[in-house]
Amino acid sequence: MAVYIAKRLAMALVIVFIVVSLSFFMIRLMPGNPMSALQAQLQMQGGLTPEQIQQKINAIYGVTPTGPLWQQYLTYVGNAFQGDLGRPITNPGTTVVAVIAQALPWTILVVAVSLVISFLVGIAIGSSMAALQNSRFAKVMTFVVSLLSAIPNYLVAIVLLYLLANTWPIFPTGGAYSVDVTPGPNLPYVGSLLYHAILPTAAYVITSFGGWALGMKGSAVSVLGAEYVRAAESRGLSERRITRSYVGRNSMLPMITQLALSVGFMFGGSVFIETYFQYPGVGYYMIQSVNQRDYSLMMGCFLLITISVIVTNLLVDLLYPLVDPRIASPAARKRAADTPPSAAAAGDSGAVPVGGSMA
Amino acid sequence: MRFASDLWRILRNDKGALIGGIIVAIYCIVAIIGPWIVQVGNDQDPNNAYLPPSLTHPLGTDALGEGVLSQIIVGARPIMIVGVLAAAIQVAVGVIVGLVSGYVGGVVDGVIMRITDVFLTIPGLPLVIVIASVIHTSNPVVLALVLSITAWAGLARAIRSQALSLRSSDFVEAARLQGVPLRNMIGRQLLPNVGPYVAIHFLLGITGAIYAEVGLFLLGIAPISGTNWGIMINLAMSQGALYTTDSAFYLFSPMAAIVILQVAFVFFSRALDSVFNPRLRVQ
Repeated sequence: MAVYIAKRLAMALVIVFIVVSLSFFMIRLMPGNPMSALQAQLQMQGGLTPEQIQQKINAIYGVTPTGPLWQQYLTYVGNAFQGDLGRPITNPGTTVVAVIAQALPWTILVVAVSLVISFLVGIAIGSSMAALQNSRFAKVMTFVVSLLSAIPNYLVAIVLLYLLANTWPIFPTGGAYSVDVTPGPNLPYVGSLLYHAILPTAAYVITSFGGWALGMKGSAVSVLGAEYVRAAESRGLSERRITRSYVGRNSMLPMITQLALSVGFMFGGSVFIETYFQYPGVGYYMIQSVNQRDYSLMMGCFLLITISVIVTNLLVDLLYPLVDPRIASPAARKRAADTPPSAAAAGDSGAVPVGGSMA
Repeated sequence: MRFASDLWRILRNDKGALIGGIIVAIYCIVAIIGPWIVQVGNDQDPNNAYLPPSLTHPLGTDALGEGVLSQIIVGARPIMIVGVLAAAIQVAVGVIVGLVSGYVGGVVDGVIMRITDVFLTIPGLPLVIVIASVIHTSNPVVLALVLSITAWAGLARAIRSQALSLRSSDFVEAARLQGVPLRNMIGRQLLPNVGPYVAIHFLLGITGAIYAEVGLFLLGIAPISGTNWGIMINLAMSQGALYTTDSAFYLFSPMAAIVILQVAFVFFSRALDSVFNPRLRVQ
């Protein structure tokens, strides 16, 4: 178990390191990169000595443009791991980390709530579709659910805005809470907060619960046909026990794996949804910074989205042994590794991430 | 031929898949021949702005008095080209990486799978946005490459586990005893057996790529030049289409074009799934 966790942690650190390196590469080495652009711009303005220009760039990107490349790289990576990602160009008075720290709770709120709702709704619909196979309900739901899961989330966001925020102004058009409430643990604030979160959450849920339902249906149908379920039935176990411990638990396994994959997709979708609903989360700031060519903030947002995804994956990995005890036992793991054919194929046939391949 | 007759049999029984297939075919034809029949940019007239649908402009006009329908027809080609290219790149990379990793095994497999894990973990869309904002291009090949940057990894994993189970099968053993070279082994022996995954991932790859591509244009991250559906929605939104009723057709037509295509792809891919999956191929 400890080895299992240590491996996951090492992998997570490697990925963070790769993303930090990538962000250095983007800021410093791309042709026409923002750092040389800023340098040229400051030189054009005049009135600054080369040292002052360097100091300014250093303050924004945390990198001194002169000096050997490896040194710049080490400085950048060192700073990044100490939580210093430089300052946003458009607002040098604050730090990138401060901006992101403010934005993150909003994204996590909406993404987590939407994920939980669409997961639960999808699992419920999927398992009832599997239970009532070949019924009219299953056929209609299969159609509805495939239809909804094929619609891009930003289009749903636009339609919701058009219908429920403008044509019939039931919900607010943007923001995280209205201006007339004071942030804090008081009822009007919390109410306003939930009120503003409804449309963004709806946009996520409408487009993602279908993927869960289809996945759960496929998984449950394959478990229903398994030998051990028939064996349990012939042993005369109660219906309830079979549904819970034999079918339910086993068909949930691939869904838990999907959870890890889809978190990345949800965070990716926050870029669109937060931009359209002007919801002040990480995705919103990311697009703002892209449009203002504020690369240090942009890479900060990207780094943070990646870290959030990694942390969630870690949590799911830690959760997994609870659901599937075979993972925690080395002997069982070895057995599973030695017999790849059918088991591995069955597990991977559902490997298409929820919401398409852009996960 | 067997494939074609199987596909036709399934399509005949599955109305949803049949309609999906027909819609996909229509979009392909429009993308190929549309721009030769319809031109955009020569009937701009501000007096005609925001016209409701009429015989000359079946979906109304935009802010410049241009027909929305003709823009949608012309805009199909750039979207479809990038979607198909990106899916082709993903499938090619995913299949080669997956087969090599699964068949060769050992250290090669370990290294390749760790790299694949990295690409699976990094969230795809934010990475695409970051790269696209720095490169800032509308060149279809470059855009397709950017869009496929992480999307190959999922397929590579699925193909690898297939290759792992194929490796111990009799025909692979026989080919190995005959001393078949690696290239032949992968191309001739293993590749035909992973066909189903490839075909379905190709279709879903197109939908994923179109989702991300339209998104890039929507947010203005890819350069706004020329005509495609993402640019149309972007312009409609920035001209305040949300707050007026007279530009509803201008805003919703390209959205409908995208949704119909995406849904058609998903339903069509379901038919392919049943062609390849003998367990689902009952009657």
